[in-house]
Parts: sequence; structure tokens; C-alpha cells
Amino acid sequence: MSDTQPILEVENLCTTFTRGGVALPAVRDVSFNVGKGEVLGLVGESGSGKSVTLRSILGLSRRYGDVTGSVKWMGQDIAQMPERKLRHIRGRDIAMIFQEPMTSLNPLLTVGMQLTETLKAHTDLNRAARRDRAIEMLDHVGIPAAASRLEEYPHQFSGGMRQRVMIAIALAANPKLLLADEPTTALDVTIQAQILDLILSLADELSMGVILVTHDLGVVAQTCNKAAVMYAGRIVEQGDVRQVLRAPRHPYTVGLMRSVPQNVPPRSQLYTVPGTPPSLEALPQGCAFAPRCQSRTDSCMATRPPLESIAQGRSVACFNPVTDAQGAAA
Amino acid sequence: MTQTVMDIKDIELEFPVSRSLVDFVKKRPGRVVRALNGVSLQLHKGETLGVVGESGCGKSTLARCIVRLYEPQNGSIHFDGQDIFAADAKADRSYNRRVQMMFQDPYSSLNPRMTTGQILSEALSVHNMRPEAEIPSRVAELLDLVRLPQDAAGKLPHEFSGGQRQRIAIARALAVEPEVLIADELVSALDVSVQAQVVNLLLELQDQLNLTILFVAHDLRLVRHVSNRVAVIYLGRIVEVGDSETLFSNPSHPYSQALLSAAPSLDPDDKGDAIRLQGELPSPLNVPPGCPFHVRCRHVTELCKAKVPGLRALSGRGEVACHHAEEISKHA
Repeated sequence: MSDTQPILEVENLCTTFTRGGVALPAVRDVSFNVGKGEVLGLVGESGSGKSVTLRSILGLSRRYGDVTGSVKWMGQDIAQMPERKLRHIRGRDIAMIFQEPMTSLNPLLTVGMQLTETLKAHTDLNRAARRDRAIEMLDHVGIPAAASRLEEYPHQFSGGMRQRVMIAIALAANPKLLLADEPTTALDVTIQAQILDLILSLADELSMGVILVTHDLGVVAQTCNKAAVMYAGRIVEQGDVRQVLRAPRHPYTVGLMRSVPQNVPPRSQLYTVPGTPPSLEALPQGCAFAPRCQSRTDSCMATRPPLESIAQGRSVACFNPVTDAQGAAA
Repeated sequence: MTQTVMDIKDIELEFPVSRSLVDFVKKRPGRVVRALNGVSLQLHKGETLGVVGESGCGKSTLARCIVRLYEPQNGSIHFDGQDIFAADAKADRSYNRRVQMMFQDPYSSLNPRMTTGQILSEALSVHNMRPEAEIPSRVAELLDLVRLPQDAAGKLPHEFSGGQRQRIAIARALAVEPEVLIADELVSALDVSVQAQVVNLLLELQDQLNLTILFVAHDLRLVRHVSNRVAVIYLGRIVEVGDSETLFSNPSHPYSQALLSAAPSLDPDDKGDAIRLQGELPSPLNVPPGCPFHVRCRHVTELCKAKVPGLRALSGRGEVACHHAEEISKHA
């Protein structure tokens, strides 16, 4: 399903914020494609630039920072598109759900109004049809007694239900691409499983592309086709999810995989990546991961390894990638 | 022979919800949140007891009861054979020293206006752990223990990362040489790679200092890794407690089964025979009668709706609170 023409092509995306005269390179040279019905997982620790990448795609960060590079939506560059034109794509073709279901709904409007608002902006349905569609959407995302809940306010919904409402709003106009920014981080595992199942089945049904930002490798393993690992604003490794998780090549990905306690003897010492991620103000000159890396060489400290293709659809940014044998041991 | 250090018996705790004007006008009775509905648990010396459950199930409330931040309305907690809520025990500060709590949020649990050195020496002087003159050297020792650089003593909390702050919190708890540590979501706010560092430190310190740890967390993989025994809580009740490996590889209670199967595996091909729970945790304002889990349970019968199942030992397993545990575990 992924061998068709990609619907979204991101190339050399850079987002820089400025704070007190200091440039903060939040996202650097990020490139990836998303095809129809494809689920791309963007993984990384906090501050690695995953959320900013998503926001930059939709033009949400240009007010706060400098965005360069190209974001092609169906062949059309939307990175520099004026706000007014972009509004026709945002919400209709590309929808986004945010991390916090508690704060991303307007507490003063009923759920029904918030749902029909999107429909009013992006479809030419009349009032009654919009209401029907809203009920249909709530039903679709698994909210019981949808018709009666339309008149309720967000505070009357639980966290998992609010996230469902967010998904219903995002999907109301039948988008072709869904950007999901940590959609389940604030939820319990049992609810997380329900929400992820829901997103996946909808992606499948509507052959919608999804970019899923998360820090949970388990979520990536269970939901995505492709994975891209970010560190300090750059993609350090990307490829098919099985290859990335089974045979990681970048030392950072290996470190991430091995710090998760799975298939290790109980109460044994966990593998750790020494140190902490660098701050954006003081990124190392060479590879950003070099100071924490065990296989670093002098060239890693001096120059930055480019993201290079090592196999079909698989690339890694490292001078000394972990070999298959080492990766398998991890 | 395992020695029980903490014996928690049938504790119950309710929080009244303030009545709104509408409630007064309509003469509705005041409502209560039933946070704990009869929790019994033993903590053995030197073990790590993991406590898991969904948010709102009472894990943190239980932790707070143990350190006397809340006083349960019913039931008792005995520490070393002594009732910690007895009148004479309340004045006893040594309990506060011997049982220490570490909190979830590394950003709000340290006083932003005190340096690390001040935070640690305060703990030392409040409990008269060391004579005044020896405090600086003890602070240095503690920083060393949690692998923080010595110059950390002069720094304020905002100069540290989340992982380093949790180390300070651990150092503060260890300053008073406690016997029991209560870790309430200690590493939940940290990134995976940093999480592993703090967990390793905790395990190492436990062996070194022979600590007993109550590890409250919602990350099941992590709990499985650090715990000797695990208790699963649902709506203020323990539904299953037992040896960590047995419980994780072979859960007996339908809720434990569903909870464990919901944790996403790292293997893309291991989709698991996922048991999907229907619905969400009922509000603790309105706990269902009978077994609190019956509204979401696949194996529900009339008996479950009528009678609360008690915790009972199951051969080869731990203790389970389910009327049908035998049949369910046979099928599993």
C-alpha cells in the first residue's frame, strides 16, 4: 500500500526559534515521506523536535520561529503558502490531534458545536446534515449515546472520551493525513490500547496517512509501518519499523531499545545511555550524540554524519553504525 | 523466613466532595469519593513491592496513607508491630524518619529557593542525624551515593535536569537513613534513557542499604523489572497480589490479564492475543456494587454483581479477588 506516490513529502525542514538573541535549532534537515494509508512513527525523547516537526508541517510554528525547507502536500509546497490558502488544507486535508485532551477542547462550547464548527468550515453540508454527521462521527469513535452527548461540555467527558472527541473533530472532514502528537501519552494503558486501535482502524478504513509522534517504542512497534528516530532536532535513523526496532543501526536507537526493561532478567542492571541530551543552545559541533556515544571517534566530534541511505528505504546518520550482529545482541 | 515490616489491614478512606449550591437546593446528600475500600497488604523486609493500576484507582492515596499524609477512616497500618495512627505514635517523629517518600514530579517536589546542599542538610538537622559539624561531609557523601557531582551542593534545583532532580529527591530520602522507601511514580516523568539510570541507581542502593521499597507506577514493564511482588489495584481495592514473575507471566484476575495485555510489546510482530477492556474506570464517586470490576469484565455472572469477592490464595498463584478465578485461570 505504501508503494504509491507519497502524499506528503518533507524535505530539509528546519525550524529555528530565537530566545534572547540566541538561535535554538529545534528541527534540522528533517526529510521524510508519508504515503496513502501509511503510519509513520516519529520517536524521540522530550526536546528532540518531534512535536515542532509536526507543527511546522501545518504551518503552526512559523509565527514563533523561522521555518525553511519544503513541505509538499500532493505535490504542492505548503511551507511558504499564505495563511489564508493554507486554511483550506489545514483541518480538511491534514488534521491534527494534540497531546492533551484536557486543554485542547474549548471548555465553553458544547462538544457538538466544536464538531460542527469544523464541518461548517470545510464542507458544504447544511445544518441538519452537519448534526447528523457529528453524531455519526461520535458514534464512529465509540462514544455511547452520541446524540445526547452532543449537547454536553468537555468537562462532562473523561480523558479517554475527550481524546475520542478530538479524534472525531479531526476526522470529521475526512482528512487524508492525520498528525497525531502523543495522542495517548496522558491516558492509561487500557484506554491507550482502545485509542490506538481506533486510529489504526480508521486509517485503514479511510486509507488515511498518519504521522504518530510518541516517545513510547512499544506504541511504535504496535502501530507503525515506518519509524524515524529523532535526536536533538535531527532524524538519526529511519526505515521500516521492523528493521529499525529489530536491527537498530544508530547507537542512540540501540540505547533507547535496550533501556526499556523487556526480556532482561528481573532486577538486573538496565542498559543506560550515559549523560543527558544536549541543550539546543549548546549543540556539539559534530554528531549531537557523540558525547554520549560509546563508539565515537575523533571524526564524530569534529563533523556531523549526514543521514545516508544504507538500504532501500532505510537510512542512518552515523559514521560507525552498529552492525547487525551487535544490533541483534541488543 | 520473610519478615513483615509493614502490615496494612483493611484501610478505607473517603474524601467528601463539597456540595454545590444545586445540591443544597435539591437537598441531595453530600457525596464521597471512595478512594480506598479495604486495602490489605504486607510489606516484607528488603523486598520491592510494585503497585500498579489505572489513574484514579488509589495507588497514590495508598502511598500517602503509609507516610501518614492521609489518615484512613477505618483499618490500621502497623509498622514494626506498632500502630502508626495510634495517639502516642503520632507524636513519634522517628516513624517519619524510618519511612520516607519520594514524589512523582521532579519539578515541584524540591524547594526552588534552596540549594541542594540546604535541602540535604535540612533533612539531616531536622532529624538530628549528625552533629552540626559533620553535616557538610555527610552531604558530600550523599551526593556521591546518588552519583551527583560535588559542586551540585551549591546549585539550585532549576539548574538540574529531571533525572538529576530525582537523584536529589532520592538523596534527600536517604539522608535520614530510612528503612522503607515509598516511590510514588518516581521515574514516570523521565525520558526512557534517563529512567533506566535512576532505576539502576535505586536497585543498587536497595541492595547496598537493605531497603524495603514500595514502588508505585503505571509503567508495567518497569514494575515487572524492579519488583519482587506486585499488587494490582482497581477502584481502591487490591484485586491481585503475588510474586512478580508469576503474576506478569500468568495473571489470574481478569483485570490483571487485561491490564497486562494492554501494554504494547516492543516486537512489531507480537500483536498479542490482546484482551481489550470495554469502557473506562468507573468514577470512584460511584463505585459499582459487588465486584467493582464487573461492569467491564468478560466473565461476569450474577454472583459478581451481588457480592464483593475477597482476596483468597490460589494454589500456585498469589492471592486473587475474583469469584471465578479458578475457571478463568484454567482457560487462560
